[in-house]
Amino acid sequence: MSQDPAQALAAVVPPELRDLLRGRQLVLARPVGGPHAGRHTGVRAGLGDQFRGHRPYSPGDDPRRIDWRAVARRDRLVLRQTDAEDALSLVLLVDAGGGMSYGTGSSNKLRHASALAGALAHLALRQGDSLGFGLGRAGELELAQLRPRAGASRLAALAHALTREPTGICPWPDLVAAIAPSLPRRSLVLLLSDLLDPDPNKPDADELLLRNLAALRSRGHDVVLVQVLHRDELEFPWTERGMLRFEDPRGAREPLEGHAPGLRADYLERLHAHLAGLDRGCADAGLHLHRSVSDEPLTGALLALLARLAGHPEPAPLTLEARR
Amino acid sequence: MSLLAPLMLLGLLGLALPLLAHLRGKEQPRKLAFAALRFLAPRDVVITQRRRLRDRVLLALRLGLLALLILALTRPVSVGDARVAVLGEAHDAVLLLDASFSMGLQVDGHSLRAASDDAAAAILEALPAGSRVGLLTTDPGGPRLELSADPDRVREAVAHWASEPAGAGAWTLESGLPGALALLRQAGEGPQRQVVYAIGDFTARGLGSLPTTAAPEVPVVPVAAAGSLTAPPPVPEHMSLESVAWSPARELDPQAVHISGEVRRHGPADGLVRRIVLVLRIADEPAARAEIDVPAAGLASFEFTHTIAAAGPTAASVEIAELDNDPLPGDEVRHLWLAGEDSIHVALVNGDPSEMRAHDEVFFLATALAASGSARRLRVHSLAPDQLEARLRGEDRLADVDVLVLANVRAPADDIAAALRERVAAGMGLWISVGDRVDARSYNARLGPLLPLLLREPLVVGTAPGRTEARTEAVAPPNLAHPILLGLQGELGLLGTRTRRIFLLEPDASRNAEVALSFTSGAPALLSRPYERGRVALLTTSIDRDWSDLPLRPGFVPLAERVLAWLDTGHPGGAATTILAGEPRFIPTDRPISVLTPDGHERVLPPEREGQAVFKDTLVPGHYRVTRPSGEPLTFAVQRDPAESDTTMVPVRPPTLDGDQVLAAAQHPRWRPLVLLAALLLLLETLLRLRRASPR
Repeated sequence: MSQDPAQALAAVVPPELRDLLRGRQLVLARPVGGPHAGRHTGVRAGLGDQFRGHRPYSPGDDPRRIDWRAVARRDRLVLRQTDAEDALSLVLLVDAGGGMSYGTGSSNKLRHASALAGALAHLALRQGDSLGFGLGRAGELELAQLRPRAGASRLAALAHALTREPTGICPWPDLVAAIAPSLPRRSLVLLLSDLLDPDPNKPDADELLLRNLAALRSRGHDVVLVQVLHRDELEFPWTERGMLRFEDPRGAREPLEGHAPGLRADYLERLHAHLAGLDRGCADAGLHLHRSVSDEPLTGALLALLARLAGHPEPAPLTLEARR
Repeated sequence: MSLLAPLMLLGLLGLALPLLAHLRGKEQPRKLAFAALRFLAPRDVVITQRRRLRDRVLLALRLGLLALLILALTRPVSVGDARVAVLGEAHDAVLLLDASFSMGLQVDGHSLRAASDDAAAAILEALPAGSRVGLLTTDPGGPRLELSADPDRVREAVAHWASEPAGAGAWTLESGLPGALALLRQAGEGPQRQVVYAIGDFTARGLGSLPTTAAPEVPVVPVAAAGSLTAPPPVPEHMSLESVAWSPARELDPQAVHISGEVRRHGPADGLVRRIVLVLRIADEPAARAEIDVPAAGLASFEFTHTIAAAGPTAASVEIAELDNDPLPGDEVRHLWLAGEDSIHVALVNGDPSEMRAHDEVFFLATALAASGSARRLRVHSLAPDQLEARLRGEDRLADVDVLVLANVRAPADDIAAALRERVAAGMGLWISVGDRVDARSYNARLGPLLPLLLREPLVVGTAPGRTEARTEAVAPPNLAHPILLGLQGELGLLGTRTRRIFLLEPDASRNAEVALSFTSGAPALLSRPYERGRVALLTTSIDRDWSDLPLRPGFVPLAERVLAWLDTGHPGGAATTILAGEPRFIPTDRPISVLTPDGHERVLPPEREGQAVFKDTLVPGHYRVTRPSGEPLTFAVQRDPAESDTTMVPVRPPTLDGDQVLAAAQHPRWRPLVLLAALLLLLETLLRLRRASPR
């Protein structure tokens, strides 16, 4: 894999999305708390442009920061404070399990997720933020690049990791639990997965994942779940009378045979319940959940995700009824 | 309908196989990799083995396909009704098929030509093992297969031939016997007997024309195309246009013509008078219409009068209109060309006139030409020898004469002879007949360059050394290859001619004379020779009864017509010439010509011998147009031979075969439609299966 950022970007981000990235910035709604100066509003006071407040003058403070107008109004010495501008620590967690291999061409789920991840990484690195990432593939955790760093080499490493063939399962609860101790303060943790079956080997994987994510959130990290789904998974469109054999692309569950018309109603009901439960769990734990359908245009999907990160209102929930 | 292999019906038990396979068959599911598998859960146990018929259409198709194949394997055949007597021992056989127009007669919904297939199949089925068989039709352009031990190739050739419509050709079945004999001879003389099986209709020109043997030891077996010799099929009634001719009607208008003819009603003599509609078409447009009553099995005449508007030859036709479902279609129309001025000017120079008509030198010739039924117009007038001299010395120099006949005329003077030579060289025809007034020395001296052969001396038959017994000479079979007689057949009605005196000739191969008729002694009777642009014919006996009874013979009239037509090079054939289908058309030309046929084909012909082209492809009735690089365009019409419309049945003698005979009937295979139907079902089955199996 090339170390050239442009070539690395081209490996995972299609041209129309690269055009969209020109002149665009990654803006976050919540303040960050990184150790390095950057472009995001920090949680502490510092040398920024955004007015933060006044505090009483203490000996040793720089007299040039005294706000004389406020002194006149308050009849005591006060200093003008501004928000610090820090760099973001962006941590991407990508599902590289076999479940993400569904779909052909541009509707492939991993391809869709990779494009979004590559675009976000490019925006972050371009504005001086740090990037770390981890993957779950074939039941293993790939965390070598988890520690956030700035520099184009990270983008190349991400592109290299995302272009590998998805296989096996991505053990989400283990992955989230494993990264928690290593994250810098106030990182933005962004998960990209279909979140349909977080760990087939664990019966309570859904709850365990939500608990682990809630723990991350309680440590001050911002957690965003990007759920990438295929339209077939949302609509179960098969109506043929012939027999279908559904096989698990991760190889973790037993195949199932049946006629599509007889399976559809049950499937949609169960899927709907799962998505609703995920919505509730995220809302309760203060997590941000953003859904994207892999056959929709990538440009629209990225703009929606950026808007979501910038604090714009959450779009209508992506449910079966809404799709119909 | 019967089955050649009925045991194959047991194969119908195999129909149970697809039924069982359909019921026991396990459906192969389509595989899908699906990440949300955890949300799928069947409510009931999935049954992948069928317990009831799901695809009834597909199953029905497969069962029908199998049943058809089994039925085809039983080899169903139908037995024809033609019973044929076939020699019961291995022999060499030739199937001779009647290809004439009358075989197009529809009997019981099928033409006799198509029914010939059944009769031929019956013979081929019944031929004993070891026999060889060949095929021939009376149509020279029809199929011809040499003898072989493989009857299938003959069967296929007959089936193909019988499926084509009958043409307009007019051939007797007997005319094919020489060709059949040639096929047998070509196969070699072997120990096996030889038989000709002739398949035709019950007409005089069909089975009625057949002799009992084609050659010694080669019997001819007549085979009815439909029915059998003992039970002939009923002949349906049909109408035909028997003849059409035209003549100028100058008493009405210089361009007026009478078009007359006859309609014949063929079939049973009983029945009512039938009214039919006749339409005269000029240049393909209806010009007149008439209704006539035709008695049962009788003739009715008609006549139209029409004024020709266009200059030059006009295409015309007369047809019986509104005649639906005629059993013999094709003979309800006759084509002809109308031409205001189209005649051959014949000048008869009477060298021995007499007040008694029977003794007049040209009486018989003039009478024959006046009685000619040819559509060609002959303007005949007589000249005395002095009138001939005056004309030749005058300014016109016989310019309007196309053919000059010197009938027993003394040798002309030198200047007259020179003028004659000049006129013949310019294209005039000259027919010389001899007699008492012809002097060999004078003729040789003055007209020698014109004569086909120089004259030696007259001879009284029976006075020559060695010929004292016979007092008359007969005419030998004519040389039908001579251009004068081309297209004619038979002995022309001249064989009984008795000639008492003939003129002997000097042999001279350098003169390129061609003999059309000879006496039985070998002496030439009628010979010819081209002379520059003209032609000369010489009759070596008198044209009246003084030396011969030739003028009394029935063949004299057509012979005189033919001689005059051949001599007429100035009017090459005439615009209104009508010939019968199959007859050759001789077209004077020295360069290639093109002939436009009624069906729109253009044929290019090179000239053959004596500056004329021979067009033989005249089997399509209608109007023909000839374009010549030099000279004016020509037209001629081709009509069907009315004899072929005559479907009157004649008694046919049963075959006389020595030895065992086999009475056989044809078995026609009927499994081919079953196989075709099975192929269609297979195609439908494939399409249906592909449609069901295709992904959404």
